[in-house]
Amino acid sequence: MESAEDWLVESLRLYQDFHAFDLSGATRVLEWIGDKGVFVAGYESLKKNEILHLILPLRLSVKENQGLCPERDFKVCHGGFSDASVFELKHVPDTRLLVTTGLPGSYLHVWQVAEDSDVIQAVSTIAVPDKEGGFWPRVAIFSSMAPGVLHGVRLRSLKVVDLESQKTTYTSGVSDSEELSSLQVLAADTFAFCCSSGRLGLVDIRQKWAPSETISPGAGAAGGRWCAEVGGWGPGPSIASLGSNGQLCLLDPRDLSHPVSSVQCSVSAPSPDPELLRVTWAPGLDNCLAISGFDGTVQVYDATSWDGVGSQVEPLFTHRGHIFLEDNQTDTAPLVTTHTWHPHKPRTLLSAASDASLHVWDWVDLRTAH
Amino acid sequence: MPEIRVTPLGAGQDVGRSCILVSIAGKNVMLDCGMHMGFNDDRRFPDFSYITRSGRLTDFLDCVIISHFHLDHCGALPYFSEMVGYDGPIYMTHPTQAICPILLEDYRKIAVDKKGEANFFTSQMIKDCMKKVVAVHLHQTVQVDDELEIKAYYAGHVLGAAMFQIKVGSESVVYTGDYNMTPDRHLGAAWIDRCRPNLLITESTYATTIRDSKRCRERDFLKKVHEAVERGGKVLIPVFALGRAQELCILLETFWERMNLKAPIYFSTGLTEKANHYYKLFITWTNQKIRKTFVQRNMFEFKHIKAFDRAFADNPGPMVVFATPGMLHAGQSLQIFRKWAGNEKNMGTVGHKILSGQRKLEMEGRQVLEVKMQVEYMSFSAHADAKGIMQLVGQVEPEGVLLVHGEAKKMEFLKQKIEQELRVSCYMPANGETVTLPTSPSIPVGISLGLLKREMAQGLLPDAKKPRLLHGTLIMKDSNFRLVSSEQALKELGLAEHQLRFTCRVHLHDPRKEQETALRVYSHLKRWAPRSFWLGLGRSGARGGSHCASRQRPQGPLRAAPSRWVRDCGVHPHPGCCPLRGPRHQGAAGVLDLPG
Repeated sequence: MESAEDWLVESLRLYQDFHAFDLSGATRVLEWIGDKGVFVAGYESLKKNEILHLILPLRLSVKENQGLCPERDFKVCHGGFSDASVFELKHVPDTRLLVTTGLPGSYLHVWQVAEDSDVIQAVSTIAVPDKEGGFWPRVAIFSSMAPGVLHGVRLRSLKVVDLESQKTTYTSGVSDSEELSSLQVLAADTFAFCCSSGRLGLVDIRQKWAPSETISPGAGAAGGRWCAEVGGWGPGPSIASLGSNGQLCLLDPRDLSHPVSSVQCSVSAPSPDPELLRVTWAPGLDNCLAISGFDGTVQVYDATSWDGVGSQVEPLFTHRGHIFLEDNQTDTAPLVTTHTWHPHKPRTLLSAASDASLHVWDWVDLRTAH
Repeated sequence: MPEIRVTPLGAGQDVGRSCILVSIAGKNVMLDCGMHMGFNDDRRFPDFSYITRSGRLTDFLDCVIISHFHLDHCGALPYFSEMVGYDGPIYMTHPTQAICPILLEDYRKIAVDKKGEANFFTSQMIKDCMKKVVAVHLHQTVQVDDELEIKAYYAGHVLGAAMFQIKVGSESVVYTGDYNMTPDRHLGAAWIDRCRPNLLITESTYATTIRDSKRCRERDFLKKVHEAVERGGKVLIPVFALGRAQELCILLETFWERMNLKAPIYFSTGLTEKANHYYKLFITWTNQKIRKTFVQRNMFEFKHIKAFDRAFADNPGPMVVFATPGMLHAGQSLQIFRKWAGNEKNMGTVGHKILSGQRKLEMEGRQVLEVKMQVEYMSFSAHADAKGIMQLVGQVEPEGVLLVHGEAKKMEFLKQKIEQELRVSCYMPANGETVTLPTSPSIPVGISLGLLKREMAQGLLPDAKKPRLLHGTLIMKDSNFRLVSSEQALKELGLAEHQLRFTCRVHLHDPRKEQETALRVYSHLKRWAPRSFWLGLGRSGARGGSHCASRQRPQGPLRAAPSRWVRDCGVHPHPGCCPLRGPRHQGAAGVLDLPG
């Protein structure tokens, strides 16, 4: 395809490194285990899905003599089968356990990655109290001596369940029926929630429910569906909230009621599938964020000089690989389902799309390139 | 005993040496005869003692099949045929036959002349070995003997690589060798029809990988070459396989054209002539693109790519050179390497010592060469990954899949995936371990026209989903099977027909009234055997005792005595007898005798 060739030539300038893979099934999950392994999982509703533990190509893991390493392939280290579709997968740190969630949303599934074979086995399930057709609970893991699984479909059904005993160790205790879109554990006793309305809160589980939170009805008040991520090291705003209308808000956890800035990203809004919206902070770059879920691209933004409300911003970099390298077998354009940053390579990201493609790319910061 | 036995030969679990023994319906075939490149002693050869135990190899083996010219598939062939001893036929495709001896000789030279190894096969042995080769075409059915036939299919991977179907009667095995399911710039993708063999044998080396796309590998190659040339440096590309060099040339030519680059690209002439020769010979083995470029112009007369002259190596400024041999151990590529190695602006895609990171090399005459040039090791070889293997299995539809060269523990997931998704059994023998597959061979039987006509006259059309019971006599003469009507059989044999009569009591437990039960039985039987059946009516005095009912048309409703049980007498009294059949008693017959 002509444009694919053109893009490939362009890519010589735009990327330091670029790898493209075809999974057997599309994934909405990219969860790191250490810095060399990543989990992916299928989200089909009518057939069995695979959960795979992939080891990064050697070429991307070696720190020196990269040139002497020809290995560019992912290795399937472990695999398992799930009847339910997997929308989220969390690894329980320091264990060989995984927790998955998806539709149907009546159970969370707990898995074990075998040590002496390459199988991922189902071990148990955790019942979800608020069973509602079409809704699925979000999940986050409190890792400690006795790991706990934080989960819920709505604020009122938020609870923490001890993984081993299955006893509930915390409940929100509120009757608020707002729907959750993401959960994130921040420390041993605190977590952040984001509702689909955009309402954000930080909760300390040692106290009765009293989160510091944004003023309802949400940072954007523009409707649509929202997701958020807490990250960003260093001074300044460390919470990013992304709306399906393309709005991106930065907030300071010390004062959630007044967003630091709010910008309009250069995307075609609204997102065709707001559940796929994702915003992430770069672990190795100051003030850099990546967003996806609007189309077949992943955009990287530098939020350093953002201020005020409503200004239109341009991305520092746009990854278009999923559009240009698409196999032309489907009529619909691929949609990026998820992305994640490499834990220590500052400009390396992994991104997955609805056509089962998986890309690993290291983009060139054209501002600093000669 | 109809079964297929497969034994991968060689010691240990390691990869690197393909040699598989297949026993199918009494025929023994050896698939590939590879050498392990990592060893310098006898461990590099497969363990043939497994077969030699059975006697002379030539007597034991019906044939040897070689899938392609890579040394890990054919490297041990001269050793096997000339030093261990085998005089039977060796089958391979034409390109493999042409290229194999060159690679074998090349390797022999390095091993013996450079490394001074003993107990290695000689040049003459290679020649003698190749005399035993029978070359085959794609899709050509080759009769090895009366019963054993083989057929080659396109495998992609490298020039001349083939997958082979081995067939004896209705049992067959397909061996894939190395193949790829995605076409590349100079070879097409593997293709085989839905031949439904009992077993598909394939390598599992790459079964647990997910391969980076071809385009990204090419991109990486272009990027590195471009960067070096932009710096004013020189690029040395030692190449192994003929086809790959051609592919990279096309790639560079396209790129140079698009980017309007001026740096010269050279191709060492030795390689040019050889490649030209083989491509002319085997043009049908390459893909459409190559054929087009070849037809339009002589392949190596690219706009930007010229023949190399050793003097050019001293020219200043950037340039790119493709040279052989791949491992830099001799010839042009080594010469060029020596000239350019000391300059860090230069770059080369390289051979052994350098690949292991060595930066100081001892050259001839004790010269030490310090390697400052950048080194990039790139792999373009096309293998099928997990996805490709699933695709091929789906295409072929075998009853079972056998994976060689993998550790069973590390492939439990793949085994489950194959078994679940494709609904076939999956086997993973270790080297030296034999897998036995029972098969149910279908035996063709000729049916006489008279018998067929009689069955058809019953009015019901044949239905594959509703098998009907057919009565006849099977006559086995020599290896001929015929099914004829009993009357005809008796006639042919000159035997008289005897009739046997007997009755058997069947008791029915039924809470309903006799009359009703009898009616139900009557209508049930009538439905089952419309034309000829009989019901005897007779009193049964005591329990036990059997009487056979005579051949009669039903006389009307029956009467049954209370509290009976149904007993299946399991006797087939008379050919032409109508069977009483229920799901439990296939083929068993009983006669219903309802005492009044």
